[in-house]
Amino acid sequence: MSSSPLLHAIPRNALLWLLIAQALVIAPHLFHIPPWIAGLWLFCALWRVQVYRSRWSLPRAIVKLAMMVSAAFAVYVSRGSLVGLDAGVALLITAFTLKLVELRSRRDALVLVFLGFFAVVTGYLYDDSLLAALYSLLPVAALLTAWAGLQQAAGSRQSPRISLGLSLRLLGQAIPLALLLFVFFPRLEPLWSLPQPAEKGRTGLSGQMSPGDIAELSQSTELAFRATFDGEIPAKNQLYWRALTLPLFDGRSWRMASFGTDLLPGQWRKQGASQAYSVIMQPSRQPWLFSLDISESTQADVRMLGDFRLQRNRPVARTYLYQAEAWPQAVAEPLLSAAGRRHNLQLPRPGNPRTREWARQLREQYADDRQLVAAMLAHFNQQPYHYTLKPPLLGENSIDEFMFDTRRGFCEHYSSAMTFALRVAGIPARVVTGYQGGEINTAGNYVQVRQMDAHAWVEYWLPGSGWQRADPTFQVAPERIELGLQDALGDEVAALDNSLFSPVRYRHVAWLNKLRMGWENLNHGWQSKVLGYQRERQHAWLRQLFGEVNWQRIGIGMVAAMALLLGLLALFIIRPWQQRPAPAQRLLQDYDRLMRRRRLARSPQEGMQSHAQRIASQLDALQLQALEDFVTVYQQLQYSGDGNLQQARYALRQLWRSMSPRYLRKR
Amino acid sequence: MQQWLRRWWQRRLPPLSQIRLSQRQVFIVPTVTGAAFAVALLLMLLVAINYQNSLAYALAFLLGSLGLLTALHTWRNLAGLELQARTPEPCFVGEQAQFAVQLPGGAYRRPGIALGWRMPLAVQTDVDTSRDVLVKLYLPASQRGWLRAPRLRVETRFPLGIWVAWSQPDLNMRVLVYPRPLEAGLPLAAAHSDDQREDGLLEMRHGVDDYQGLESWQLGDSLRRIDWKAWSRGQGLWVKQFNELQGSDTLLDYDGLQGDSEYRLSVLCFHVLRLDAESRPYLLRLPDRLLGPDSGAGHRDACLVALALFGKEPE
Repeated sequence: MSSSPLLHAIPRNALLWLLIAQALVIAPHLFHIPPWIAGLWLFCALWRVQVYRSRWSLPRAIVKLAMMVSAAFAVYVSRGSLVGLDAGVALLITAFTLKLVELRSRRDALVLVFLGFFAVVTGYLYDDSLLAALYSLLPVAALLTAWAGLQQAAGSRQSPRISLGLSLRLLGQAIPLALLLFVFFPRLEPLWSLPQPAEKGRTGLSGQMSPGDIAELSQSTELAFRATFDGEIPAKNQLYWRALTLPLFDGRSWRMASFGTDLLPGQWRKQGASQAYSVIMQPSRQPWLFSLDISESTQADVRMLGDFRLQRNRPVARTYLYQAEAWPQAVAEPLLSAAGRRHNLQLPRPGNPRTREWARQLREQYADDRQLVAAMLAHFNQQPYHYTLKPPLLGENSIDEFMFDTRRGFCEHYSSAMTFALRVAGIPARVVTGYQGGEINTAGNYVQVRQMDAHAWVEYWLPGSGWQRADPTFQVAPERIELGLQDALGDEVAALDNSLFSPVRYRHVAWLNKLRMGWENLNHGWQSKVLGYQRERQHAWLRQLFGEVNWQRIGIGMVAAMALLLGLLALFIIRPWQQRPAPAQRLLQDYDRLMRRRRLARSPQEGMQSHAQRIASQLDALQLQALEDFVTVYQQLQYSGDGNLQQARYALRQLWRSMSPRYLRKR
Repeated sequence: MQQWLRRWWQRRLPPLSQIRLSQRQVFIVPTVTGAAFAVALLLMLLVAINYQNSLAYALAFLLGSLGLLTALHTWRNLAGLELQARTPEPCFVGEQAQFAVQLPGGAYRRPGIALGWRMPLAVQTDVDTSRDVLVKLYLPASQRGWLRAPRLRVETRFPLGIWVAWSQPDLNMRVLVYPRPLEAGLPLAAAHSDDQREDGLLEMRHGVDDYQGLESWQLGDSLRRIDWKAWSRGQGLWVKQFNELQGSDTLLDYDGLQGDSEYRLSVLCFHVLRLDAESRPYLLRLPDRLLGPDSGAGHRDACLVALALFGKEPE
């Protein structure tokens, strides 16, 4: 024992916990790291265990170097790069694994524990759901347990459970302080930009719309966003969540305006009542947000563009929370510029002659724009159109074929056809994509919008009144708007939704649905209160609390609160009232307790000697001997100071024994 | 500076053979591990800030709070610890002097208490509630006389090694170090022979003056005192008992030896031990005192003490 404690061998208990912790840390990473790392871990763990059992020896430096280089090479081959978050995390986990075979001293083990904590943090970048957060408590507790186990003497055979209890206690005691820090620690803007987790086929709206796109999206029950309203939730048929406008048409697809043409906010006039709401958006990797017509946001990183959509200054890579206020009756762009007019009347030259002809006829019939639009909607309503997720494939003149031959389509078919016809009739129009409706969670007063609520509708422009919304799909399948996709399509959705465990599938089983709603509620709270607790939220909250955000004052307050909390914890942990008295005093207390139990209590002013004399008559010879022994040793201890504490304790034990109920019975 | 520090310690923790480390006597500082942990936390916080990840913030804060909080545990683990010095056994120069410190079990378990004279500390032990722990510490005894133990260092890094709580109590421990026994010829002189012979070796004079009677022989009795006549008569082994007279006792005389004083004391020490092992009475004469004649453990110890402290300042 001549070296620093950090260089001592690793206790068995700690090694066991390290292996458990590693498995727990690595498991959730398996979703995004190359799977061979799991095999590598098993191999390294086996090696380390064999080293512990003195069967194998740790690898030499050259072998370790070879392992490291080949592992890095394997990461490069699997990920195609050694930079970027994915490769970085894969490298981190590999290092975390390989460190196992050079685990000699406690210092190595500590490095492993710290790497483990870091690996848990990187795991949050991939998954920060409530379940993932709860799960991560397991590896954290295991790492702490291993750490606590490292402090034991090398040969210690202490039960692994003792370190576990200790680490759980520490975690529990740390929670109040951590909460305080979480709430008040200032959320800073990112100091520099970092690589983001790679995207793996996330579903969502894209910048263009071809027939079949939205129908495909409708098969996903994945959450798109949740919206919480300050007041009452508007009726479902008012919930048109605008994401994008698609003014450009090439005969088949509708696309966004080319970049830069609509950067300035459109002209609009507030009118009527407004409604405040906040949205927690799932990561979409796109900058556009979802808003009710017409919304403005005071958030610094969000602005309104020319087509009245809200856009963030960078893509939404993580769950994102924003506040907005909608003015449903506002007048949008009462005056359309010549360029805007041209834009929204643009048509590809050839194609779809039958629809063009039909629109021209309508124009001749109705001089008034409003009447024309009404007639078009009536057409969709009265003709035998069918709303379906599985429309037949369309050929060259897709709009013609849909309008007059197949008559079966999804919202993108209807909105596309109507916009086309309106433009032929000389009315500026565009396709708007976004989401419609959503599931209203009455308990949480929020609307939950899934990918399957994706929708496309039409916006046309009237002089003086601005942009108006028209939804041909509503004419064909009103239940789609009033109730939702599932009610409109019933079996078709159930058949398409091929996931047996999809929660939405069982929405007609009442208790299951209730359970699901509760779970959604919990997730909503998690996202808004925890994940969404970033700069904006924090400021809003602090303003609510203190009136203004003055970091100097908050800082002082926080330090004071922390000191107070630490003081309380100190009281709880140290328990000064439990600090035991001096040993001699303790002996006296034990003696008094014994005498009280035997109904021979010593009165407060009575000395031990006189007490012993007083009760002597009630004791038998053995007890008297034990009493005398104890009194003698105790007094030596108490007064001459050279008494033997152990001897006194022994004498007291003898006295207890001689007066125990068992002995008394025997007598 | 060192002087000042020593005086400061003296005021803070005056030497006491029984001590309970009070709040003012326990100090706490972060360790190297603690610093490394702080760096790791800072990295986590950077990830949290740059990725704006609430969970990363939460974990960094949780671990940070935990680290802060373990200071309380570390401190509690040492504060209130009782240390009792046991009276140490004397030893000889060249041996390791053993000091025993007793740590009585208290109201709660105190794992990982380390004790020693200097870093790295020699002993680590857990102090349970149920029983006392006896810790043995060693110091090389290089000089005869009183060996005063330096201030003890007692510390604990429990539970995570982020903090170290320590104290330096002085348990007022000292051990008497006897001279190193040195085997060498001895000019023996009887105390009564005033005409001390210069040539040194005298024939040994056993106390043969007053014959007392016979006792049965026991292992350790000198063979010279066996009553061989009785044995030859087949009456068994008997030892003649003499009441030795003062005049005939063996004299161990400091002045009768040559060489420097340490050498002389070492030789005397050897002979005290030898004569004691042979259970023979002897006298020890030092320039300033005369011990004996006597025999037995008490006399031997008195002689050894005198040898150990010869020429030393009384403490």
